[in-house]
Amino acid sequence: MGNNPLVIAIVFVPFFTGIIALLFSQTEKDKTQRYISLAGGIITTAISVMLLLQVLETGPQTYQLGGVEPPFGIIFVADNLSALFGLMASTVLMMGILYSVSCHDKCISYPAFMPLFMFMETGLNGSLMTGDLFTFFVFMELMVLSSVSLVAISDDRYGPEAALKYILISGMGSLFLLFGIAAMYATFGTLNLADMGQQLASGERPLLAQSAGIMLTAAFLLKSAVFPFHFWQPDFHTTAPTPLSAMLSSVVVKVGIYGIIRLVTLLFAEEAQQIQQLLVILGIIGIFFGSFSALRTYNGKRMLAYSTIGQVGFILLCIGWGTPLALTAAIIYAFNHAFIKSSLLMLMGAVASRLKPKSAEFSYINGLGGKLPWMIGALWFVGGMSLAGVPPMNGFISKFAVARSGVADSQWLPVILAVASGVLTLTYMFRTWQNVFQAKAEPEEVRVKVKPVGDSYLAPALLLAICLFLGLYARPLVDVASATVAQLRDPSIYISVVGLFGG
Amino acid sequence: MTDFLFALAVGVLFAIGVFQLLRRDLIKAAMGFSMLFTAINLFILATGAYTGDVPPYTTNVEAGRAVSDPLVQALILTAVVVSFGSYALLLGLINIASRRYGSVDSDDISDLKR
Repeated sequence: MGNNPLVIAIVFVPFFTGIIALLFSQTEKDKTQRYISLAGGIITTAISVMLLLQVLETGPQTYQLGGVEPPFGIIFVADNLSALFGLMASTVLMMGILYSVSCHDKCISYPAFMPLFMFMETGLNGSLMTGDLFTFFVFMELMVLSSVSLVAISDDRYGPEAALKYILISGMGSLFLLFGIAAMYATFGTLNLADMGQQLASGERPLLAQSAGIMLTAAFLLKSAVFPFHFWQPDFHTTAPTPLSAMLSSVVVKVGIYGIIRLVTLLFAEEAQQIQQLLVILGIIGIFFGSFSALRTYNGKRMLAYSTIGQVGFILLCIGWGTPLALTAAIIYAFNHAFIKSSLLMLMGAVASRLKPKSAEFSYINGLGGKLPWMIGALWFVGGMSLAGVPPMNGFISKFAVARSGVADSQWLPVILAVASGVLTLTYMFRTWQNVFQAKAEPEEVRVKVKPVGDSYLAPALLLAICLFLGLYARPLVDVASATVAQLRDPSIYISVVGLFGG
Repeated sequence: MTDFLFALAVGVLFAIGVFQLLRRDLIKAAMGFSMLFTAINLFILATGAYTGDVPPYTTNVEAGRAVSDPLVQALILTAVVVSFGSYALLLGLINIASRRYGSVDSDDISDLKR
């Protein structure tokens, strides 16, 4: 197996960009750091596109760190799933950097902001690409610690409190992850995912390995804010600076999803049934909990954060369903949701940035419609359609994929859920659209002044253009997702690509 | 005997750590957090350090004696660095919160709960 430098470049380009950006100054006026980071983000996205094309053409790519043979050395593997998620993460993060170039938050002008943002991208891409469980833990921690630091310096005065909450909860999650990893190492004497998968497939099932499976599942569910572990998520995603909260709610939660997909397809493929039953139950609870909480919350960003719980519930439901079509639907859903949710959060942030208290609370933003650029309202309308799954947006494609996987099994539950959650989503998205962008407030009701300048909405507009494109021309994504699932269902492909020593 | 002592140490540290983490005092919670990571580090050590009694990276190993696993020590080193980073960040956040809210009691630091 040849070493493909692209697999490692997607991880280390953001890292070195962050370090280079650290050398330059960062103030309100001086945007050098931001432009350097933007260049890094664009290069990373280009690399991820090239990587995905290569993976689709010639099969999974690998890179051995230091040239040490697996299972002894650390190996980076990009198969279809990693490359597709890497493309999603890099594109959305590039848009996040583009948004922060013109963001007027005070925290953006801190010299540590852009480097931490880039380190978060390193952690994100690294945990998607690595083929080694311990390296996965290290990259995940890098991501968590960078995002915690970014939330702690947020303009929102509740930032430190939310960051404190998250670092304690996520510390518990990392603990479970580390415990699971140690238990796996104790059982199989290896940290390589492919080696573990091979040994697990050969039928060895000590009790310690099973408990490790439970701990890894719990850790991944916690990281992706699934229903019983969700309580930190709305606080953390609401108080984060806008460019970051768009990333957290769209791509960072997907790392947990990625871990669960790997767990049920590569490692614990035989126990997958039990894990999947759990995922179906949690998914259904999550869908309804997220949607109803979004209906009754008091803050625009918080509404979108709750909606993420509901959307992640759909992805879990599809993984739990377990048929190839459902797994395809889960991947399509995860991919599309990242673009929709990040654009909507950026729009909400662009609204909030025009107010004095920079808050997205409905009591502040209701009835501001006439004073905001009409473009934001129009984009919100389009994004709302996409989130609810109205054609021709890409949200419709994901909902349709979910429904199709149910119909193919003659099960009506996914169809009913897709429609019900679509109706709920329409309700809260268009109520917000009405109240914020359409309604005219009475003169005495207006308590805040709208500033003439605010964050620009180029990044969400571009993201929504991608959404529209993916909705009108969904064929490539659906094909790639089907190929990914075909690859996931045969773990021997992943194992043979890693090319275990003597195996 | 060593196995039993290790299991006991990991268990006791884990129990104390969980108990401290659930305290309302955030400083105590942070100490519990660090204890839990110590417990896990001991657990990682126990998974491989006593597979042999010869230190790793020695050239001439006598017949019948096994080399102890060097990887666990590398893993612990990394885990210590990571947990140290989180612990420092956690204490820094508690510092900010205690100045802003005038308390380190987690019940007082709950403005987000509405």
